[in-house]
Amino acid sequence: MWRRQKHADVTVAAERIDRLHELARAAAADGDTDRARYYVRLARRIAERNRLALPREFRRFTCDACDAYLRPGRNARVRTRDGHVVITCDCGAQARYPYEE
Amino acid sequence: MALTPETLPRHELNGLPVRVVESDDASRVGLEGRVVVETTNTLSIEVCVPPEAERDRGGNAAECDEGASRVVMVPKSGSTFEFAITDDAADAAKASGTASKLADAKPEPTEESSAGSDCAGEDVAYVTVDGSRLLSQPARRTETNGDSPWQ
Repeated sequence: MWRRQKHADVTVAAERIDRLHELARAAAADGDTDRARYYVRLARRIAERNRLALPREFRRFTCDACDAYLRPGRNARVRTRDGHVVITCDCGAQARYPYEE
Repeated sequence: MALTPETLPRHELNGLPVRVVESDDASRVGLEGRVVVETTNTLSIEVCVPPEAERDRGGNAAECDEGASRVVMVPKSGSTFEFAITDDAADAAKASGTASKLADAKPEPTEESSAGSDCAGEDVAYVTVDGSRLLSQPARRTETNGDSPWQ
């Protein structure tokens, strides 16, 4: 990936984001939603400060509005519509992602 | 640029197993657990409280998954932390002979961090870091530009 080939401290930042992703996932699985939210916010802040794009998986599994780590079926509703998926967070925010058949 | 003893002060601390080696407050010395929350001035460490029976047998604090745990907030300044880093990081430390390499590359932080990374066990490296080296907003520790002490 291109972002891994950049400067050394950018690599550290990218790794921190990956680690925080794992931590957020684990915390959310333990039912510790606030701690998961803290990890998501920290990862977003690091990406912002280092001008990195967040990994797609991270973007799709977090809520843009409330920073919750989304677990489909638990705190997120996943519905397919014509040509796109709608993911609704418990906070009410919706995200739409296109798909190809 | 994985998590190595050299990069640890700039890397993610959340989730790492940690032990308080030295502290201004004697009651905090020897605390052992996992870092769960980091702020500018503190680390919150999740410490497992083993059930009485296990404590008598010297239950391993780092291992317990379920059961009671409490979160202790430790100020970074005035404490010395020992982080345990696993897998490939330890191999890198063995290969490079971290202590000497650190002294060459970065003379300034030597006294705090050169003590670190004596390898025990197969793939665990222990890195000792003075808490005052970690005083920074968690998101800004990684950066190297500007008047940053992490350069």
